[in-house]
Amino acid sequence: MLEQVAFFVVAVVMLLAAFRVVTATNLVHTVLWLGVTLGGTAVAFILLEAHFLAAIQIILYTGGVLTLMLFGVMLTQRQQGVTTVGNPSHHLPAGFVLAAAVFAMLAGAIFRTPLPNAVAQGSNTRALGVAFLTEHVLAFEALSLLLLGAVLGAIVIARRRDAGDESEIAGPAIPARRKLEIGGSR
Amino acid sequence: MMENPWISGLVYSAVLVTVLMTAIAWISWFERKVAGRMQSRLGPTLVGPFGLFQPLADALKALQKEGIVPKDADPFLYRFAPPLTMALALGTAAVIPFTPHFLGSDLDIGVLYALALSGMMAFPIWIASWASNNKYALIGGMRMVAQGISYEIPMVLAALVPVVLSGSLSLGDIVEYQHVNGWFVLWPPGVGLGAFMLFFTTALAEGNRIPFDIPEAESELVAGPTTEYTAINWTIFAASEYGHSVITSALASTLFLGGWSGPWLPPLAWMVIKTSVLFVTITWIRWSLLRLRSDQLMALCWKYLVPFALMLLLVAGIWTHVRP
Repeated sequence: MLEQVAFFVVAVVMLLAAFRVVTATNLVHTVLWLGVTLGGTAVAFILLEAHFLAAIQIILYTGGVLTLMLFGVMLTQRQQGVTTVGNPSHHLPAGFVLAAAVFAMLAGAIFRTPLPNAVAQGSNTRALGVAFLTEHVLAFEALSLLLLGAVLGAIVIARRRDAGDESEIAGPAIPARRKLEIGGSR
Repeated sequence: MMENPWISGLVYSAVLVTVLMTAIAWISWFERKVAGRMQSRLGPTLVGPFGLFQPLADALKALQKEGIVPKDADPFLYRFAPPLTMALALGTAAVIPFTPHFLGSDLDIGVLYALALSGMMAFPIWIASWASNNKYALIGGMRMVAQGISYEIPMVLAALVPVVLSGSLSLGDIVEYQHVNGWFVLWPPGVGLGAFMLFFTTALAEGNRIPFDIPEAESELVAGPTTEYTAINWTIFAASEYGHSVITSALASTLFLGGWSGPWLPPLAWMVIKTSVLFVTITWIRWSLLRLRSDQLMALCWKYLVPFALMLLLVAGIWTHVRP
C-alpha cells in the first residue's frame, strides 16, 4: 500500500519535471529539471528493490551525465548568465509524431518481452553480478568493447582538432590582435 | 532497535544529525586552534575557556546577519543550494557503521551509496555558483565540477579494492571481514596501503581541501562558488564542507582501517579515534602544503592516480584468486 502511494508520488514528480524539461526556457533550468527526472527514476528503482540500479543511476546519470551536460551548456552559452532556448511552435506537430513513434516502439518492445511478474526480495546485487559474469558474460564484454571504442573515438576526435590548431596552442607568441581582444573586449 | 522501521529510522537519523552537527561546530573550533598553533598564533581565546564557546558565538552572529540575495541571482536556486549541499553531506553518514549495531541502514550497496552522495556534492555547489550570477563564483563552480568528476574515478576505483578483497558492497560486511582477517591498510602488503593513500588523497580533492582547493582559491576567486553568500546560508556551506570532511574520514576508516574493530576499547571509541586521526591529518595537510595549479591537478589525476588505481585493482583481483 505504502509502496503504491510512494510510486504515484514519484511518478507525478517525474512527469511534472519531464514536462518542465521541455517547457523551461532557461537552458540550465532544463538540465536541472532533467536531474529531478533522473533522480525520480533512481527512487523508482529503490521502490522496486533494485538498489544497485538506483545507485548506478545516481552515480552515472545524476552525477556524471548531468554534469557533462552542464559543461556543454556553459561552453555554448551566448548571453551572460542566462541562456534561453526557443520553443518554436511549428515544430510541435512533428515533435508529437516523433514522441508518439518512440513511445510506441518502446512500449511494444516492453510488452513483447516476457518479464517475470515478481518483485525481488532482499539483496539482488549479488545475483546481478553473478548473472553478468556467467550467463551474460558475452553481452557484458561486447558492451565493454563498445564503450572502449567510444572512448577511443572521442580521443581521436579531440586529437584531430588539436592538430589543426597546433600553431595556436604550441606557438609561444600570442598575436597582438588577440591580446587586445582579451584585454579590451568588455 | 524498535519494531517499526519508520520510527527507528527517524530516531536514528535525529540522534545522528544532532551528534554530527554538534561535532561539526566544535571541529571548526578545533581546526582554528590547530591552524593558530601551526602559525605561532593562539587561535580563538576570548569566548569561554580556551575559546570553547566560539562556535556558539559564530552561529549566533550568522543567524543575526542579513541574508542577502543578489539582485540578478536566481532566487529559488540561490536559496535551494545550501540545504541540498548539507543534505548530501550528512546523508552519507546513514550507511557508516559506527559500532556493530549503531548504523542507519546496512545497505547491500553501502559503498556505492556513500560514493554516489559524496560524488554529487559538487553539484549543489555548482548550482550555488551559477545562481549567484557572479563570474568569480561561476569560475569556481566550473573548476569544482571538473575536479569533482575527475577525482571521482580514482576514488571509486580505490574504494573497489576493499570491495574486491572482502567480496561485499556492504560497509557492515567489509568491517566484519576486516575484524576477522585484519585491516585492509595492512594487507595485501603494499596494495592495501596504496589504495588507502589513494582514497585519502582523492577524498581531499572531493572535499576541496588544500592542496586541491582551486575552486575557492581565495587569491584569485574571492571565495569561489560561495562568493555571494552571506549569513546563515554561507554558514551552511561551511558546515557542510566540514561535515563532508568528517564523514569522508569516517568512510576511509571504515573501508581501510577496520572501522569499529580494535582491541581493548569499545567499538565506538575506536571509530571516533580513527576518524579523528584522519581528520587531524587533513587539517595538518591543509596548513602545510601549497595549492596545486589547475593543469597539475588534472595531470596528477589522469596520468598518475587513475593508472595507479587500475593497477591496484588488478593486483587485488589476482590476490583474491591466488590466496583465497
